[in-house]
Amino acid sequence: MNKIWIEKYKKDILGRFENKIDKTWENYNELHLFLKSEQDIPKICNYVYSDLVTRLTTMICTDERKLGNGFVIRHVFGKENGEDVFIFVTSKIDESYPSIALTIPAAILHEREIHDMFGIIPIDNPDTRPLVLHDHWDKDTFPLRKDFGLNTKIPRQEREYPFLKVQGERICEISVGPVHAGIIEPGHFRFSVMGENIINLETRLFYAHKGTEKLAESMKIDDVLLLSERIAGDESIANSTAFCQSIEKITSVTIPKRAQQIRTIFGELERLYNHMGSLAGISMDAGFPFGSARLNILKERLMKLNESLSGSRILFGVNRIGGVRCDIVDESRKILTETMESILPDFENIVTLLKSKSSFIDRLKDTGMISKQFAHDLGVVGVAARCIGIDVDTRRDHPYSTYLLHKKETPQEVMQREISMQKRKGDVLTRFEVRVQEVRESFDIIRTSLSLENDGLYTSIPHNLEPFKSALGYAESHRGQTVHWVMTGENNSIFRYKVRTASFFNWPIIEQAVLNDIVPDFPLVNKSLDLSYSGNDL
Amino acid sequence: MKKKSDKAILGNDIETVRSVDNRSISPNYRGSIAFNVESFNGNKNSILDSCPTRALSTSNDDKQATFAVDHGKCIMCGYCSQAAPEFITIQSKPASPVKLKKQLSEYSNSLTQSEKSFEEVGNELREKIKKMFGRSLAIREVDAGSCNGCEIEITALNNPIYDIERFGIHFVASPRHADVLLVTGPASKNMESALLQTYESTPGPKIVIAVGACACSGGIFGDTYATTGGIDKVIPVDVYIPGCPPRPEVLIQGLLLAVDRMITNGK
Repeated sequence: MNKIWIEKYKKDILGRFENKIDKTWENYNELHLFLKSEQDIPKICNYVYSDLVTRLTTMICTDERKLGNGFVIRHVFGKENGEDVFIFVTSKIDESYPSIALTIPAAILHEREIHDMFGIIPIDNPDTRPLVLHDHWDKDTFPLRKDFGLNTKIPRQEREYPFLKVQGERICEISVGPVHAGIIEPGHFRFSVMGENIINLETRLFYAHKGTEKLAESMKIDDVLLLSERIAGDESIANSTAFCQSIEKITSVTIPKRAQQIRTIFGELERLYNHMGSLAGISMDAGFPFGSARLNILKERLMKLNESLSGSRILFGVNRIGGVRCDIVDESRKILTETMESILPDFENIVTLLKSKSSFIDRLKDTGMISKQFAHDLGVVGVAARCIGIDVDTRRDHPYSTYLLHKKETPQEVMQREISMQKRKGDVLTRFEVRVQEVRESFDIIRTSLSLENDGLYTSIPHNLEPFKSALGYAESHRGQTVHWVMTGENNSIFRYKVRTASFFNWPIIEQAVLNDIVPDFPLVNKSLDLSYSGNDL
Repeated sequence: MKKKSDKAILGNDIETVRSVDNRSISPNYRGSIAFNVESFNGNKNSILDSCPTRALSTSNDDKQATFAVDHGKCIMCGYCSQAAPEFITIQSKPASPVKLKKQLSEYSNSLTQSEKSFEEVGNELREKIKKMFGRSLAIREVDAGSCNGCEIEITALNNPIYDIERFGIHFVASPRHADVLLVTGPASKNMESALLQTYESTPGPKIVIAVGACACSGGIFGDTYATTGGIDKVIPVDVYIPGCPPRPEVLIQGLLLAVDRMITNGK
């Protein structure tokens, strides 16, 4: 199916920019365009973004100087309306390239990240501050360059990070973090407030930067799988599925049906326990611990279920390259069905209870409002996008595992979905409702996946991987689209591993969402967006 | 009048684990690796190479290879057991917390830990906290770059099933109120100074617990440009809790050990 779309877009783009494009090639659902000159990046990216109506999926930089290509930048755009296509705009560059951030704001953070990790300057990017490497790093450290050793220790330096200063009468600053009051990950938030109202919020992240991408380049491929599970502990299935997919695409391996079904089931189980957790968090931060306690009971039951199915409470060790390591036998199917039957009625009871408490609903309504324009510009994904009616869901738009079957809709269902999308307001209450709806959906998906095929758990992949081949893997975690891009190196190594999780796109929206809310609403808004620090910081 | 049941009022029965016999670990759980004590005659290197975190080591005895596993590095991936299923098996019993780093290593012919239930450890802990602090133990959790897996388990301690507050343990918002620092993650470089400042702000006597394989040794993230390779490279650690992530039953054992250490004045 995607061949037709790829042909269409190839013709379209070549017809317009034939003299600017060196060559094109296709790989599954990826259309690669190689530009003759990096000066054409803005023109072609803007065309792909605005005229072909795509979203920025990720930006990948590689250091291919040893291969004689210099640095290479790939702008990846994805269609999100049922046409399963990714368009790669690839160009060789020297030490700089023209920025696209002014027309595609979602690229700002990518360009800053590439600047920190490779030392490549995006010309005309309005924000030149460091992002990943904090103030204490030497300015000439570029960890993802090939000539930088993984274990190099950089001596600390003292510098100040230039936060935006909001000045004026009665304005004061509250700074929070990186060590927070709750049991959460590290990040710094700087509020400028007038009275209780938030005038400006600036987030400073990357405290949990662990060098994941660089580390992967020194590891065996099977070990990178373990690393991908630990990009964000609560997204282990989504991230490892995305990683496995890219290796499976590189080696042209089709995994057995049963493995696909098991990936779907565990993917939904992961969504379930995390959605329970964030719903519990919303209830807690709205000042209603009773609801939170009851939802946490369900979360714990789901984690116990994870434990008995997979041997890990947070689903580590389910995936393997070419399939899955963990089977669902008849006995575990019984446990799964029983647990689901015990959870669903309890869940519905709690939701009814929460919805009947006016003080609870009042707290959620109109809090943490996201504007559709901002969400669109920043490329927001997942629940955060769906809560404002931006209808993106990787499970439907770029089907993987067995989601093609589950996400098929009748024309009437499509219409109903579109109507419901139009009504969504983008406040905490909508995000609450979207999550409740997705919990129900996940139960349905699991139920219909349980009649498993009998064709085995995995397909072996070739022992020797062809060097310098690349592919994109993707999955929808409970936070949204996560995209992994792998390029193989010599001797079965990984040349470049680029990870872009949902949180990387969703973090900036929180700065917009809390404006004009009061400071005590911040934890509630934060919880409702459910952002990962580790998945963002890598 | 007929008394209403808890379920009718609360919507749930009381779910908290209360029975001292409750050992709810599933037999499928990957808790720790165990060596079959019969000597190993195969290729040592294939086992050693299979470990992504270099948790396995072997003594250079020609006649009989003695393997050791460092639980502080082991992330329970099970790759070694796939490489030599007849020699290494995975057991559901998780590795126990220890006071000294070298105790994390376990040799193939040495033997293991007590198996107490969550409730048993909790009760013991409550008695000791009462003796030591009069009423309660205050914990500050610090994430020094973990993947959030350990945080999920630490949060689980507060859910109604484990409900650790009933033993007099509670999580506080500031290190200035804390007796214990519960630190996770491989101590990323970007968190290094924040971690140090948190430690310095905690009033003495204070106990630092390193939670999880990353905190004990750097785990899978190791010691790179962006990490320091374990919490003890930044601040002194009193108790190590192995696991990836350690489950609530192990976390509470670690807390018991921490209080023990306070009572015995750091020994």
